[in-house]
Amino acid sequence: MTSLTPMVAELVDYYDDGEAARHFQFRLLDQQQWPPPEPGQFFMLSVPGAGEIPLTFTQLPDQNQHWWALVRRMGSVTSALFRLEPGAILGARGPFGRGWPRPGSDQTPVLLIAGGCGLAPLVSQAERLLEMNLGPVALIYGARSPEARVLGRERDRWQHKLALFEVIEQSPGQTARRTPLDALPDVLAHWGHEPGATFMCGPEAMMTALSQRLIERGIPPSSIWLSLERRMHCATGTCGHCYLSHRYVCQSGPTFGWPELELLMQQPVTTQTPPLLSC
Amino acid sequence: MIHYRLAELAELTRHLGRTRQVWQRSGAKEWCQADASNPPPLEAGRSVQSAKGFFFAEQEHIFEFDGRYFRETLPKPAPFALIGVSSCDLVAIAYQDQFFASDPHYQARRQQALLVGLECTVPCEHGFCPTVDAGPAARPGTSDLVLHPVGNGWLLTVTSEQGRKSLQGLNLTTAPEAMKQQRQAQLADCERQFPDDQHIRDGVQALNAGTVNASTWQQMGVQCLSCSGCTSLCPTCSCYGVQDQSADQTITRRRFWDSCLYDGFQREASQHNPSDDAGARVYRFWYHKFSDDFRKDFGRYGCVGCGRCEATCPGVIGIHSVMKRISQHD
Repeated sequence: MTSLTPMVAELVDYYDDGEAARHFQFRLLDQQQWPPPEPGQFFMLSVPGAGEIPLTFTQLPDQNQHWWALVRRMGSVTSALFRLEPGAILGARGPFGRGWPRPGSDQTPVLLIAGGCGLAPLVSQAERLLEMNLGPVALIYGARSPEARVLGRERDRWQHKLALFEVIEQSPGQTARRTPLDALPDVLAHWGHEPGATFMCGPEAMMTALSQRLIERGIPPSSIWLSLERRMHCATGTCGHCYLSHRYVCQSGPTFGWPELELLMQQPVTTQTPPLLSC
Repeated sequence: MIHYRLAELAELTRHLGRTRQVWQRSGAKEWCQADASNPPPLEAGRSVQSAKGFFFAEQEHIFEFDGRYFRETLPKPAPFALIGVSSCDLVAIAYQDQFFASDPHYQARRQQALLVGLECTVPCEHGFCPTVDAGPAARPGTSDLVLHPVGNGWLLTVTSEQGRKSLQGLNLTTAPEAMKQQRQAQLADCERQFPDDQHIRDGVQALNAGTVNASTWQQMGVQCLSCSGCTSLCPTCSCYGVQDQSADQTITRRRFWDSCLYDGFQREASQHNPSDDAGARVYRFWYHKFSDDFRKDFGRYGCVGCGRCEATCPGVIGIHSVMKRISQHD
């Protein structure tokens, strides 16, 4: 049986990072344990009285069951979370979903592409890659504005360990909008490598366009992995909200290989919302 | 399989009522708790509501939070029997048993239930259970006992071990061969009376072939009022939402039936909405019921042919209307 009732957790610490974004450290209370999560998996955070939301780990739970997550203040649950102080009692369930695959030595160099808060699910994968030291790693990080960038400490820490390309969509003195999609050819030329594996997370239209662009360059579709965001109420594959064709993102995702995702995204009626390519 | 002759339905109701709560349909329409000493008459046909809500509650509490601890609020129902579940609704329960196999709230109720099926002898309005292998004969493995009206009495068939045990202590006579033959004849006759279902077969084929164009779905999207009548009455629909409520220092999370036809069903806090097109949501509903992708996972389609969506939809996009439309547009 899969319970919808959370374990008791505590808000331990937090610090601000970027526009309306904050890092929170949580811990499980009462000697409770989770199975060790994989990079790219997620957990459900309950803010009692406000509701429950899926969040990715920016730092996986340690042996004392402490972990970090990056949260952008966006809706009612995150707004309630931002009003809390250390010591607040919360609920947490997890870990859920399929994480990023562990790259093999034949899948280097590795390209990471993130848009906005989409960098969060890639942090623990980036740390794993740097620890494995398989080969060159590059990160294309797109953000709406310099102020919208997040995970500054992590990006500073990675400065000399991976090739970091930051793409600011709107910055002072810059006239044309620029997204990771626009920057891709220049970045790959400058980096001097073609990726053996690509992991990305950001606006869905941006990821779809990037995948197609990479494939046009001859990158094998099976080497491209994406992490999706969806509304979720259960994380057990029963509430129905995160459906994607005949799969549920909470169980079959949130990370998908491009060949599988491309099939799942095929449907006769597409959304009328203008594609959001920006971060 | 063991078959008994049951002269009076009240014999069964009274017997089952000694060890369980008994719910029975009043006439063909509504479920009500039966007075075991004076049970209501039972008629075959489609009830307004299926038996879905007995297991997947329309709303229920998930947990209570007192400021320090979460206490799971699992239901603890007494054993109960449902008398008169139509064959199509039995198949729907079996389908939801698969879907909610790991859901503790669903299973806490389901494990207390005895299912007494009731086979139809005439097609119900809008029904097409034979097309989707869900009736009129009760499908194997979906019930504990099955009733079939024969003459002035009933043929009672034992279809599970739990069903056999439930009859212990009830003095029944074995049914004569003639009763069983009459059941077969009545079922065959019933099946013959169903109207032509070619539009459903063609519609399902078109849906799976992907030959229905976007504008057809979008036209039907305009007709959808997002009233959730179809998803509430559909015996296999299973989507739910959750919400926290606060009262007297206690916070309660409840879950409730949701509908994939609501425009906010997939909307995220950022306002990104993967299904903000009403046509896409209508497509989603029918894809969930009739896609070969889901059939691979569940061993059957997600529709049991009850026809409730057709009966309730104020926008005229129930099963027959939709299948006629999509079977003609390619």
